[in-house]
Amino acid sequence: MERENKIRLSFCKGDAVVISFVIMLAILIGVVFWMKTGTEQGNIVVVYQEGEKIQELSLDKDTEVLIENYYTNKLIVRDKKVAIVESDCPGMDCVHSGAISGKGRSLVCLPNRVEIRIEGEVDSEVDFIVR
Amino acid sequence: MIQGKNILQKLIFLVLAMALLTGCRTSGKEQETKVEKTQYQASFLNLFDTVTTILGYAETEEKFEEITDEIYTNLEKYHQMFDIYNEYGTNNIKTINDQAGIAPVVVDGEIIQLLLDCKEYYNVTNGRVNVAMGSVLQLWHETREAGINDPENATIPEESALIEAAKHCNIEDLIIDEKASTVYIRDPEMSLDVGAVAKGWATQRVCENAPEGLLVSVGGNVKATGPKPEDISWVVGIQSPWDANADYVHTLYVNYESVVTSGDYQRYYTVDGEKYHHLIDPETLHPGKHWNAVTVVCEDSGLADALSTALFLLPKEEGEKIAKQNGAVACWIASEEEIFYSEGFKEIIKR
Repeated sequence: MERENKIRLSFCKGDAVVISFVIMLAILIGVVFWMKTGTEQGNIVVVYQEGEKIQELSLDKDTEVLIENYYTNKLIVRDKKVAIVESDCPGMDCVHSGAISGKGRSLVCLPNRVEIRIEGEVDSEVDFIVR
Repeated sequence: MIQGKNILQKLIFLVLAMALLTGCRTSGKEQETKVEKTQYQASFLNLFDTVTTILGYAETEEKFEEITDEIYTNLEKYHQMFDIYNEYGTNNIKTINDQAGIAPVVVDGEIIQLLLDCKEYYNVTNGRVNVAMGSVLQLWHETREAGINDPENATIPEESALIEAAKHCNIEDLIIDEKASTVYIRDPEMSLDVGAVAKGWATQRVCENAPEGLLVSVGGNVKATGPKPEDISWVVGIQSPWDANADYVHTLYVNYESVVTSGDYQRYYTVDGEKYHHLIDPETLHPGKHWNAVTVVCEDSGLADALSTALFLLPKEEGEKIAKQNGAVACWIASEEEIFYSEGFKEIIKR
């Protein structure tokens, strides 16, 4: 009888506070991790010319860049997408490629020796894309 | 008061325990990444008029560059050997073409090997891959280049010119003397164009001499030299022929195999609103019309390149037979609703 009483007593108000604190902390950590992995933030647009990295742009920030080499490519970043919208190269394959957005995708202008690649921390499910 | 102290103690204990746990985790991770290799990627845009990409794992970027530098050097060597438009100081395919009907040309043993393999490809593809049809391809090349530079006035080759050129495409007129290491084109009007197989053949060669665990792509001729670290297969996505941004048609697991896709959307020009791609059928002398894309998977990248061209130009039944005879699996795409698979292809699809 006395024993039972003791056990019941040991679960006090303080314990409830500690348990709820731990649960809240767990939820908080869970939410933070979920937000981190849930969105594809932090991917960057990398411009290579003749195999050398010449520029890095944020995929999250709308911008417009001219890439000048043998020809001139006009590159735009808008709504987390990248495209070459104008080019004076023959064939204009780069412009016809349209807009890209996912990590691992790339745009190429062969005549201008330019490659635009989306790189980032977000793991993509494919290693390589064949056109 | 005593109760409050209790809570405080418990809280401190918990926080300490958590800090300890996270601490353990980070240090464990750091150790892992030290041993773990990082994935690197290198691209070259000046070989074979296409994009070359090498993916691999290395401890440092410098170590990866050592690997890719050697692959680049070898690919550049093949690029120069197989060029039909430019000279590089040593005898190449252009030299052989220039000496057609005149004299045998002494060439490097690797050119001999390529051309011997080309004769084999001709045989196994029932003549659909014919490197001796340079004269026909030249006509298409000229109108394509002119059409790209001046789209308003784009034309296709004259039918009579194509028929005339087709009279000079007999691969038996390609005389290879292995002992003397010479090549001679007996027909003065004939010329070689190894474009349909050179990239795949070169990919195969560089991969045979490259370290394990790389993925090499020369203009879509993909070959892996073994799985990624921890025995994980490479995953290769085949892009939709209709929309570059759409989901993949399929994704494939690759360890040591080669994956080659021939499509009508990769290289083409437009005449009067109609698209003319670069895969010319030796029978019709015009671009093949059966498929949008054909993907071939087999161990040897040179063979895969030849087979993908052949299967693209053939109806499914004949192509399937050729694929099977050569130990390859294939996928034919005629439209979004019409996708066909050979036996064994579905087994390498990831999803």
